Amino acid sequence: MSALATVNAPPPPPSGFALYRPRAIEVRASEGEPTVIAGRWVDTVREEWLIEDRWWTRIPLRRHYFELVLDGGRCLTVFHDLAEGGWYEQRV
Amino acid sequence: MYLELHSHSAFSFLDGASLPDEMAAAAAELGHGEIALTDHDGIWGSMEFAQACRGLGVRAITGVELTVAAPGMPLPAEPYRGNCPPGCFHLTLLVENARGYRNLCRLLTIAHAHTRNWNIAAELARDQAPPPPSSRRHDLVHPALPFAELSGRLYSEGLVCLSGCARDGAVAGRLARGDRAGAERIARKLLAAFGPDHFRIELQRPLWRGDRTRNRRLAELAETLGVPTVATGNAHFHHRRRAPLQDALVAARLLGSLESTEPERRGNGAGFLTTPGRMAARFAEHPEAVAETARLAERLRFDLTRDLGYRYPGSEDPDADRNLAEACAARFGERYDGTPEKAEAARRLQEELRVIAKLNLSGFFLLHRDLLELAREVAVEVRGPSAARALLPPGRGRGSSVSSVVCYLTGLSHVDPVKAGLFLGRFLNDEITEAPDIDLDFPRDVRETLIPRIHERYGAERSALVAAFPTYRSRGAVRDLGAALGLPQGEIERVARSVDVYGSTEIERDISEAIGEARARSDRWRALIALAAESKGLPRHASQHPGGMVLSTRPLIDLCAVVPAAMEGRRIVQWDKDSCADAGFLKIDLLGLGMLSAVERTVDEIARARGEHVDLSRIPLDDPEVYEAIQKAETTGVFQIESRAQMQMLPRSLPENIDDVTVQVALVRPGPIQGGAVHPYLERKRKLREDPGYRVPYEDPSLEPILSDTLGAIVFQDQVIQVAMALSGFSSGEAEGLRRAMSRKRSEEALNSYRERFVEGAVCRGVTVEVANRVYDQIKGFSGFGFPKSHAAAFGLLAYQSTWLRVHYGPELLCALLNEQPMGFYPPDALAHEAQRRGIPVLGPDVNRSEVLCVCEWVEGEAGEERRLAVRVGLGYVSGLATADAEAVVRGRGEGGKYADLADLATRSSASADGLQRLAWADTCAGLGGSPEALAESSSRREDLWRLGVARGARRRGGHEQMSLPLPVPEAPKLAPQTAWERVTADYGSTGISLAQHPMALMRPELDPATVTSADLKRLPNDSRLVIAGMTVARQRPATANGVVFMLLEDEWGMTNVVVLPSVYEKHRLLVRTAGFVSISGRLERREGVINIVAERLFALERPDLPLADVRTIEPETSRETGRVQGDSGQRITDLGAVLPAAHSFGRRGR
Repeated sequence: MSALATVNAPPPPPSGFALYRPRAIEVRASEGEPTVIAGRWVDTVREEWLIEDRWWTRIPLRRHYFELVLDGGRCLTVFHDLAEGGWYEQRV
Repeated sequence: MYLELHSHSAFSFLDGASLPDEMAAAAAELGHGEIALTDHDGIWGSMEFAQACRGLGVRAITGVELTVAAPGMPLPAEPYRGNCPPGCFHLTLLVENARGYRNLCRLLTIAHAHTRNWNIAAELARDQAPPPPSSRRHDLVHPALPFAELSGRLYSEGLVCLSGCARDGAVAGRLARGDRAGAERIARKLLAAFGPDHFRIELQRPLWRGDRTRNRRLAELAETLGVPTVATGNAHFHHRRRAPLQDALVAARLLGSLESTEPERRGNGAGFLTTPGRMAARFAEHPEAVAETARLAERLRFDLTRDLGYRYPGSEDPDADRNLAEACAARFGERYDGTPEKAEAARRLQEELRVIAKLNLSGFFLLHRDLLELAREVAVEVRGPSAARALLPPGRGRGSSVSSVVCYLTGLSHVDPVKAGLFLGRFLNDEITEAPDIDLDFPRDVRETLIPRIHERYGAERSALVAAFPTYRSRGAVRDLGAALGLPQGEIERVARSVDVYGSTEIERDISEAIGEARARSDRWRALIALAAESKGLPRHASQHPGGMVLSTRPLIDLCAVVPAAMEGRRIVQWDKDSCADAGFLKIDLLGLGMLSAVERTVDEIARARGEHVDLSRIPLDDPEVYEAIQKAETTGVFQIESRAQMQMLPRSLPENIDDVTVQVALVRPGPIQGGAVHPYLERKRKLREDPGYRVPYEDPSLEPILSDTLGAIVFQDQVIQVAMALSGFSSGEAEGLRRAMSRKRSEEALNSYRERFVEGAVCRGVTVEVANRVYDQIKGFSGFGFPKSHAAAFGLLAYQSTWLRVHYGPELLCALLNEQPMGFYPPDALAHEAQRRGIPVLGPDVNRSEVLCVCEWVEGEAGEERRLAVRVGLGYVSGLATADAEAVVRGRGEGGKYADLADLATRSSASADGLQRLAWADTCAGLGGSPEALAESSSRREDLWRLGVARGARRRGGHEQMSLPLPVPEAPKLAPQTAWERVTADYGSTGISLAQHPMALMRPELDPATVTSADLKRLPNDSRLVIAGMTVARQRPATANGVVFMLLEDEWGMTNVVVLPSVYEKHRLLVRTAGFVSISGRLERREGVINIVAERLFALERPDLPLADVRTIEPETSRETGRVQGDSGQRITDLGAVLPAAHSFGRRGR
């Protein structure tokens, strides 16, 4: 982002709600958009949004979220950690 | 092809992080051929944007994002800082044609009419007079348009309405909240208001959760309604790197921290202007909405730089030329009959009238004369017909207009331009393309009444003040953005006070020095450093220009939105002076000049105290006592030549007549200083004094007639024009172009192209290339600010008049200066001390003697001397004392005689309990029955406070007053006496002035005995090593001084000038910038009678054994919109400002 958010760090620690804790997940993506997740093709991207915040702290938040439907009909929300580079699944 | 139809600049005030220029440049770079600027509720930045786009080959579309109160909902009644007030929504309006622009301005004017709690809509509708002038100020209520104004279809023609943004838009906002029926209802109403050709459903992709769903639903709704969708970007800044600043500005607007304002912020950094291709990709699901952007843009052809159609009042008068000639002829004989200048004046008059008629400006001059006549009526009203001030003209011209014979004859200037040898070309020539500037200075009170009277004369619809935009500089950025980052208030204040006011180039270092390096390395402080740099120059809010007014024949609200100002009875257009100039508006500057007010007050006070009537227009201009004072630099408090830099120069330039004073006023300006004019002028003047036969050298004989007044140096702005014309054969228009190129700081390229023409022209006239280049270098050096000679002549005369008053009527001038604060170079405390050193008694405020303002009173002389005139400080100087309380005390005394004791004061004065306590602590009750022991022991102030603290003062509720009961106030217990230091700190804390003892006198016993005083300096030899200590009165770091800082120290004997060279400053930056008391070791430097101390080391003077000053208010609370001190204008919040120069947090814009 900017010079203000150069300090990269892992995703923030759980804040007490284990239910929402991000879980690393294997994702294949094309041009930033997920195409295959845990071996299943992405059927539909229902929503896509960007969260960039806390740039003034040691743990800035930069996540690109996708709300997806996989080819088996399963719905899930994943995000790409733009600061660290990993993919995570998260209940939202 | 995607075209951007919705973007914001920093003129959305704390909801946009780039200047219009930056948005325009980014649009050009990113390949936007057309772009709309749609700031919130205003076109503040639209002209600037249109001009910038034009230069870059981008077509600007004018629009706004307007806040509208939903059908049936009331307008906001309270200030609201969030994105959209409850019950309101946003609409995007785009201008299609001139009719649409007119409607947009009217809608904006209506939307702002309620924003200051004094409704101008009714007055505008009736074209009636505004409320009476008042200094009451009103906080800004959020603007909003009543929906009925749209549904009536009165103002919808020529405007294209988009249904609004994703979060707060009329339709999208409702869908986002799950109210589909409500969304359809409002969409149908808007469709009915604007018609199917002029209403579109707006789709946005801010990359928020729910974007796709919302846009699908919006598209479905559009299909139901049968209107197209259109895609917009809602960009809030020109580059991704401004995203953090956008967040911080929103937090600052909400007066919260970044954490607490998360819901209102954008949530990501996607709000930057990006390429059309990327935007089209964001709307891949809605290609028809992307295509619609181009179709719509094609229709929006209104060009703000071309299609305004403005005319000033009087421009349509076919008899204007004749009327102006007659007006001049009527005064010509009176001014010039029997003078040697008559023939030349007649020739110049004819020439001026010819040029004025050719340029169709006769109506313009008649309009100014008309205004001055109005000012004359106002002046009689304000001053009273019998006042001593009635002899004075209502105002005075300043600036280049003083060089015009027409202005002299029509009363717009008071300087005879023929006699003074003033050159007209700068003001008026055949080639000017815009109306010239006529600036008029008025005493503050006349100006305050005149402005609403002008609204009355020309109609509320046809006259308004010009807007001004305070901008972020270091100090304001540290305060606002530091608070947004959640930094501790104490640290923020420490840093804010220590940063360089004008620039943030070294803010990182400033922060380290103020709070320590380790702390400055923390994430949030590092973030602040970056934000402060990015925010520099962004407008923070709108306020009113000090005196610029625009007048129009067409209603102004058809040309630019007009909104109420914070001050009751005043209204402003949404453009600043540069945008008004770009629009070609006739702007009249009615400036309030503090010194003019002070001079008038002095004349009144002389009449009141001595019964003498002084006519300043008839005082001798060759008074030797006046020139003696000027040559000795005894000029504290007088106009212009009182500053530290001027005082340094006066003993060297030794002005001997009014022409010398004119040069002197102009000499200490960035232009002559950078152009290298100062030293040649001083040197040649010295040589001429020593040898009257000395011949001044000129680069070329053709320059002698132009530069002879200034001994061969270029001192006045108009000399630049004359030199270019004489040496290189420039036409007057070309020479004026050169002057403008320099004064507007245009590119080096432009100046170099002028150099080529200049040198070429000079060579053709037989001048060598070397000489031509040397003269051009002087001209180029002048490119900083300089005065035209006409302006310097007007100011020089006022400088002389105020010095004359200082010499002959010192107490009255001091009294007037104290009453006109803030003004001038010195704080009131320094003015009072200087007067005391000159033998003028200055007496503290006293409930049984003081008026609300300072006045002169006769006191018995010491030991058989004659009685003397003293200055009694007014009760208005008591810190925090409400004007009503001060007036109540004076009124009570007038009605029932002097107060006998404290109980009598509490009962009869009807001052509030708070007011009584403030009066006691300011030692104004010393004569009211404190015990003799207390007086002897210096505990009376504490006793008074204790006793009046028990007394119950009057209470005011809803305009009614409940008097206090006539109860005795109890005796105070035995209280500890105040030490001298405690008394001084109490004086500063309660009035800002310490009259009894100078703080340095109290510090002196503890100083190293070798420390010298300011009184010792005269007898010490040049180059002496010494240590000197003092209280900091002023510190300056002029841009022209290459990093040198000048400090002015005061001790009990006088002032000392200290020069801090960059190498020393680097070592002691924080101390130089912030210390109230310093000890300096250095070297005495004496040159031509001027003494400076060149500092080598600085030490803070600290006395930990003494009590700390009780500083209750660090800085006056300022209004966020106006930047003015909050509250009743009569209240004074005296703080460290008494000792330290005023802190200015925000800059001003100016292209």
